[in-house]
Amino acid sequence: MASLRSHEGVILIDHRESPGVPDELMVKAGYPVGAGRKVFESATFTCADCERVVVMNPDRSRPRGFCRKCNHYLCDECEAIRFASGGVCRNFKQRVDEMLNRRAREGVSSEVFQSPVIP
Amino acid sequence: MARYSLAFNAQVTVATNDTAALTTLKYLALGGNSATMQLKVNEIQIGGEASVAAVQCYIFARDTTVAATSLTSVGLNNSLLDATATAPGTLALFSNSSTTFPQRSATNKLINHSFNAFGGLVRWQARQGEEITIIGNTQPLGECSYSGGPNTVASQVSGHIIYELV
Repeated sequence: MASLRSHEGVILIDHRESPGVPDELMVKAGYPVGAGRKVFESATFTCADCERVVVMNPDRSRPRGFCRKCNHYLCDECEAIRFASGGVCRNFKQRVDEMLNRRAREGVSSEVFQSPVIP
Repeated sequence: MARYSLAFNAQVTVATNDTAALTTLKYLALGGNSATMQLKVNEIQIGGEASVAAVQCYIFARDTTVAATSLTSVGLNNSLLDATATAPGTLALFSNSSTTFPQRSATNKLINHSFNAFGGLVRWQARQGEEITIIGNTQPLGECSYSGGPNTVASQVSGHIIYELV
């Protein structure tokens, strides 16, 4: 099984030569206090269920949402849904693959389609 | 298959609320060009070009209304990253103006970039396999936009989005 660190992306916010952004706006945007000053660099992960990018707060002590079935981090909202459902895996990329395979089997009669709806 | 860099230069910014029509030349939309086209976004970078402090709250989000009719791409540059690669027959759709303007989803925001356009920059890179997926060519999954959200102060920015056309 791959390390969870192998899923991490990175975000860099560079205000070395800039007045930066007030903490109230950074916190509102989901960043930790102080992220709008000087250089902020942190790991990120893409939620496996909804594909939102989550900036990992290095000071967080609560455990992160994690799906053992697809071995991926989840954002807090998707973790709540996963927990309430009894641990059902709703991996986004897997659902996309299934939908594309289904569509390929059905055949394409026109390029004008309703957008794929991921349940 | 083919990786592209979609660059935008000297884009003037404006604050736009969710589910409101974006303003011509003040956003960037990237979407599929067929019902089964799949794009994977793995890097977004933006830097400010202001001469005075101007906070930017840029949001990369899925669109609830996709750009339609007379798409134009003034100042945008979509380049194949690998010089030896052959471009696929159908390219992704990208634009910063159209008759029907895109509208940012209020719930499907994928990443927020907050920075000061006076000397600030932001860069996000996904790990391979952890990219943001755009699929199809209609809402809600067929297009994403990158635009100034509430609290954005009018200014000027440049940047790029690196994506793979699968």
